[in-house]
Amino acid sequence: MNIPEPEAFAKIIYPPDNPTTEEGLALGRALFFDPLLSADSTVSCSTCHLPELAFTDRQPISVGINGRLGRRNAPGLTNVGYLHQTLFWDGRADNLETQALHPVADPNEMGGSWQLMISKLRRHPVYWPQFERAFGLKELSELNPDYVGKALAQYQRSLISSDSKYDRVQRGEATFTEEEALGNAIFFDLADEPNAGKYAEIPTGECAHCHIPPHFTNQLFSNNGLDEANSLDDFKDPGRGPISGSKYDNGKFRVPSLRNVALTGPYMHDGRFNSLKEVVDHYDAGGKYAENKDPNIIPLGLSPDQHRALVAFLQTLTDTSFVSQGVRESESQGVR
Amino acid sequence: MKYLSLLAFPLMFLFAGCMDDDDSVTGGEVATTVNFRAEYDDADLSIQSIAYDYPTGAKLKTTLFQYYVSDLELLPAAGGAAVRLADIDLIRYQSETDGSVTSRTYNVPVGDYVGLRFGLGVKPDLNAMDPNEFSADFVLNEVQFWNANARYVFAKIEANADLEDDGTFDTGLTYHLGSDAMYTTITFTGDFTISTTANPELNIVADVFKALASDTESFDISNPDQQRIHGMNQAIGQDIWTRLAGQFELQIR
Repeated sequence: MNIPEPEAFAKIIYPPDNPTTEEGLALGRALFFDPLLSADSTVSCSTCHLPELAFTDRQPISVGINGRLGRRNAPGLTNVGYLHQTLFWDGRADNLETQALHPVADPNEMGGSWQLMISKLRRHPVYWPQFERAFGLKELSELNPDYVGKALAQYQRSLISSDSKYDRVQRGEATFTEEEALGNAIFFDLADEPNAGKYAEIPTGECAHCHIPPHFTNQLFSNNGLDEANSLDDFKDPGRGPISGSKYDNGKFRVPSLRNVALTGPYMHDGRFNSLKEVVDHYDAGGKYAENKDPNIIPLGLSPDQHRALVAFLQTLTDTSFVSQGVRESESQGVR
Repeated sequence: MKYLSLLAFPLMFLFAGCMDDDDSVTGGEVATTVNFRAEYDDADLSIQSIAYDYPTGAKLKTTLFQYYVSDLELLPAAGGAAVRLADIDLIRYQSETDGSVTSRTYNVPVGDYVGLRFGLGVKPDLNAMDPNEFSADFVLNEVQFWNANARYVFAKIEANADLEDDGTFDTGLTYHLGSDAMYTTITFTGDFTISTTANPELNIVADVFKALASDTESFDISNPDQQRIHGMNQAIGQDIWTRLAGQFELQIR
């Protein structure tokens, strides 16, 4: 199955053992919106990844079954199929196929067990035939968690956004307002350009060292100065460190994509910032001390107008057609 | 531009002197490893975990060192076309867990060689190409872009410095370098033989300290205007770039 992709993006890397098929995509979509995957059938993937919020949930920390609080903020899924490096805030999953396996068995998310879940799916009158068709399974015993992960990955790779105002400006189909253009200039450090013109004297936002187009992430890990830490053991949430095995990675988190960022608040791994204004306030102040803070995080010296302009630019990354498509898909699954 | 290190010369000649005549014949390929070694003042570079002395009295902890290599080639003794090992590669040290050596293995025709060369940075024809023309996992899609519409940052050195000797590494140093004009071909001359019986270890060594300082002068990291070199101030960056390009060594063991 050939899913159309924007010219501006390097193509999605489809795993050889999990090409997207119509049957697999339909199965993945159905599973994504179905609370069946949770222990008590109350929580689906879409509980924390709501299409109308660019697949986030507006919660600082996501809430799982029985009201249990999760560990971190639900990341958006816009263009997640393009992110071929590690996933989760701490990078503990290597790809979408393995990422999808985590929430089902997490006691604070879907709270189930894979053994019971597979047993349920094998007996299911609708899903088992879908697995048969999608993956050519012949025997019930062949159905294992990997196929659930593959189906969910196929759906997530279909979540492609390329029609934000930012994209349309890049294609010459729209123009930024003066305020958005100023925000664009701050975001991309145009004051550093040899021919900066009217932007020569504005601050550089230093944003695009990490949040670089087209997906507005470098897929790497960074300490962006959220918490002061005189010792690298002081971070309340060590983030990447326990995964990499290095204390020098404590306090680092995966750089999130900013596509649809106006819809994905509250922000940061713990949802501490309620608005984009608060996010810009944080970066404008230069972040808090830790010896592994990213050295690109420095005080910016934004004026109020420049502050507003940066927020206005971030709002141009909203793709309403992408959101609408996701909502329609959820409705087609009977979620609404 | 610097050539083979003093250490490398005797090792190289010792090795070359032991070669059997049969080793000079060509035909067939041998898996040959090129190690890209990172150092700070002649010691293995450690990301974040070591506070390094800087000549001005400051200390610094390196957080990132990376550079692009274009057209990595071996120069055959018999002349003729160079043996291309790689069109483009990104050598990166960004985590303590990365270690100080990044290794690449290439299939190399057996034979005698008189040198190795590479371009430091992204060669102009690739630097003119958009990343969407490459696979998403290609090294030119590691999002090392100047901005949305300008292309690749050739090299980065980033560190946090303790300028006041108070134990806090609270001054960020970010040196982002590169432009077509800066692209530099680095050539090492020296004889070595790739054979099925004796395969030399090729080590390309880059020293972060030597990119910033020398015995006689040091880049002034206490000057706020020289703590952040990005886009427009490449004139200042040229100084670091020249040092960076000039300090590479090839060690053959």
